[in-house]
Amino acid sequence: MSDIAAQRVLKPQDTPDVNTLGPDPRILLAAGNAAMARMLPGAPAGAALGELGQFAGNAQVARFVGQPPAPGGGAPPAPGGGVTSGAHGDSVQDLQVELSRLQASAAPLTEDGKYGPLTEAAVRNFQTGAGIVPVTGVADPVTKAQIDAAFAALPAPVRVVLASGATGTDVGFAQQKLNAVGASPRLIINAIFDGPMLGAVIAYEIAALHRFPTATVDAAMWTALDSGVKGGFLAPEGAGGTQVEQNTTSGTANSLGTQVAGTSLHPFTGVGGLTGGPAVHELQQKLNTAGASPALKDDGAFGPKTLAALRAFQTGRVPPLPATGTADKATWDALDVASPGSLTGAVDRQWTEVVGGATYSMVGAEGSHYSWEIQKTRMLVTAKVTFVGPPPPGAWFGYVPATWNQYQGVDAASGNSLPIDFQMTSGGGGDANQVKVLTGSGRANAGEWYLADPDAKNTIPHEFGHLIGLQDEYQLHPGDYVRVTGHEPPVGDTTGPAGAPAPATAPTPATIATQLQTAMVARSSAGALAATVTAGVRPGAFAQRIVQEYATLATTTVPAVPGVVGPPSVPGKPAVTLTGDLLFDLNAALPDDTDRYETIQVLSYSSGSVMGDQSRVSDPHDHGAQPRHLGEFMAILGRALGGTWEAKRR
Amino acid sequence: MILRLVIADGRQTPAVAESVELSADGTLTGWRSVSPAGVGWFTGKLPAPELTALQALIEAVTPTSPPHPVPRPGAAEEVLELPATGPVSIAGLTPASAPAPTPASAPADADSLDGGVDGAGAWARLAEASRQLIERLTDFPRAAVAVDVASPTTARLVHRGTDPLRLDLGTVAVRVTAWRGYYEPAGDWTGPVTGPAEVEAGPGWTYDLPIERAPDDTTVHLAVNFAVLSGSTKVPVQARFTPVPK
Ligand SMILES: [Zn+2]
Repeated sequence: MSDIAAQRVLKPQDTPDVNTLGPDPRILLAAGNAAMARMLPGAPAGAALGELGQFAGNAQVARFVGQPPAPGGGAPPAPGGGVTSGAHGDSVQDLQVELSRLQASAAPLTEDGKYGPLTEAAVRNFQTGAGIVPVTGVADPVTKAQIDAAFAALPAPVRVVLASGATGTDVGFAQQKLNAVGASPRLIINAIFDGPMLGAVIAYEIAALHRFPTATVDAAMWTALDSGVKGGFLAPEGAGGTQVEQNTTSGTANSLGTQVAGTSLHPFTGVGGLTGGPAVHELQQKLNTAGASPALKDDGAFGPKTLAALRAFQTGRVPPLPATGTADKATWDALDVASPGSLTGAVDRQWTEVVGGATYSMVGAEGSHYSWEIQKTRMLVTAKVTFVGPPPPGAWFGYVPATWNQYQGVDAASGNSLPIDFQMTSGGGGDANQVKVLTGSGRANAGEWYLADPDAKNTIPHEFGHLIGLQDEYQLHPGDYVRVTGHEPPVGDTTGPAGAPAPATAPTPATIATQLQTAMVARSSAGALAATVTAGVRPGAFAQRIVQEYATLATTTVPAVPGVVGPPSVPGKPAVTLTGDLLFDLNAALPDDTDRYETIQVLSYSSGSVMGDQSRVSDPHDHGAQPRHLGEFMAILGRALGGTWEAKRR
Repeated sequence: MILRLVIADGRQTPAVAESVELSADGTLTGWRSVSPAGVGWFTGKLPAPELTALQALIEAVTPTSPPHPVPRPGAAEEVLELPATGPVSIAGLTPASAPAPTPASAPADADSLDGGVDGAGAWARLAEASRQLIERLTDFPRAAVAVDVASPTTARLVHRGTDPLRLDLGTVAVRVTAWRGYYEPAGDWTGPVTGPAEVEAGPGWTYDLPIERAPDDTTVHLAVNFAVLSGSTKVPVQARFTPVPK
């Protein structure tokens, strides 16, 4: 019998407030930078600016001028009474942000909007420090007012003036902010004030600051950038003062996979397609809105009357559509124009994603199938699954709402709100997703789930995300990362490996890029790992310089290599012509092993949300289901009910 | 070699790295890194009917061009090799994903999935059969180690096969997952175990690992991480015990 270490761990089941701070924490700050000045005070005046625009590149100027102001802080109203243990919602999440930044919590709090024991302890700690008696752990109005005041009094980030050639974290933050206000092409967040950044700085000076360019990021420019774009600084969080990068908001997140060009989001409905269910409800509602006479009964059954109305709609188009009685792409396109909104809808989303340099897809019969219904008291989103193999455990169906039912749609103008509920159901038909149920355990993918998955509580909600069209959020190229998360790639590590024995011998990005290419030619993922992770490369700006240097290397073709039974077992690879895109090439040239995964990990970007790789990346601030993941349903609410809907914690 | 399949997934720890190779005479050899049927080396001879069936599937794809399936999100890498084709990625290629045979009247597209007479269907059938071959392989342990539950507080590594192998038990991680009823989670424990850095395991060899006692009315699953030594290479493996709950 061997020794056994004492620290057996009983894993907590569904405990809110768990501190999941990883080594590389990121934050999406909901309530920082309270004073939001308008970023772009009107259009630039005078012909002189036009001439300067040529100097800076007209495309960039055009983008900056057209840029709308950044959204405001959007802080929800303060709670009326005390916020206490068990409470939840946006106000709790804001409280967690503040407590972490005020270093009242032991460690950065997981911003999950759930008032759990760690949040309560932080409130107690704040009350003790502020001399509030009695110490209750309840964020009563007096306590909350003091927390808000202390948070508002936190010092603004100290900025340094940046000129061409500058390096460091602040350069990275400036690059993030220039991207957020529309730099085109996007700047690589490499933390070097290089040529492309110079162009973007000058363009911003002309178009937004309306001044003769100084080619520097000076105090005035920092003020404009900081007031226009949230985040982009380091701040200590928790009692230990962990330095946490505050995510820089950028654009409007679109967390959906990339729709396959030319495909419809609607399933074929009617003759030769779906003849029942949500798709038919949507068809009947839209035909009615488009003037079906007599009006159809909204019963979700494709009968002769619906067929007649559909044919009438088709022949009534100018020019007419073929009267097939099938709602195909052309018919749905016309219906969507005639009747943008409906209370029920069915989606058949065909999409692809690039993760770790590899392309994945949910297309054809394996597209994402889901439906939604706007009911009196809630919006219900359903993904129906045909489980192939052994029956699915009942617990799986509970994991979906446990993770996903956290939000409500809110239309600020009208004050209307509607909870958004998600459910996974078991069933068949042409509008169901196919999932193979496998015995034993293993790593699931979108189409194969394991009965004895010990992490099913996290796995199932992630895979459910794919069934409603959401893509993965790990090992992404920078452009995909900003699109799916709505914030800029983090600046991360700017200096790279220290080298040994002195920094003078530290490998340069160019050296590492060459080593990586050599490793690819040798089909050696161990070589790639040694050149990067083992040498001390961490995610962020320095790693992106490697990506840039690699793109400048002469490309080469790596001959095919046969597989090896092993051990270790190594898959064969066909011949590959390297492209200069480092992630694509690492994926194509190297076998899918741990070394390749870890190498790609430091050269790409990953989120800590439910759609990230939760086993590898944790992040207290971008955690679980996020409002961005409900973006499609907010747009649907707007089309159906009018107004502008936003997902808020409930 | 008339067929080789390697399945690899570096996102898991330890990585999935499973292989099987089939010879013309039916000899099956391969390696399993992550398996409920044991990890290590496997070798055996496929009965003639099974070999003939596989040969027919291989012949069916030989005149067709290889497919280019795009796998679903999260899928592992799966590379199939035939002497005639070299490495072909089959991840995402399933009978369900392969389109129905193209009608004779449809224009042929050399680059598309169909690549000939029912090419995609033939490749999908061969892909499925190859994946099953990796499972079939575990019926023929040569030098392998499996794990099962010896008592409520003991997990037991067990040698399987005829040949010895060397193990590194210096850092062993044991995960115990308890299930009640039909896969209702009933607890989950992990614990490190420190054993000998190098041990030779041959026929009859066992090694006991202490585990947390799970509730009596549960079915216990195990996942034990350790390493197999192959020459100077340390190969991380995970032996699993995943019986269907009572
Ligand atoms: Zn995924």
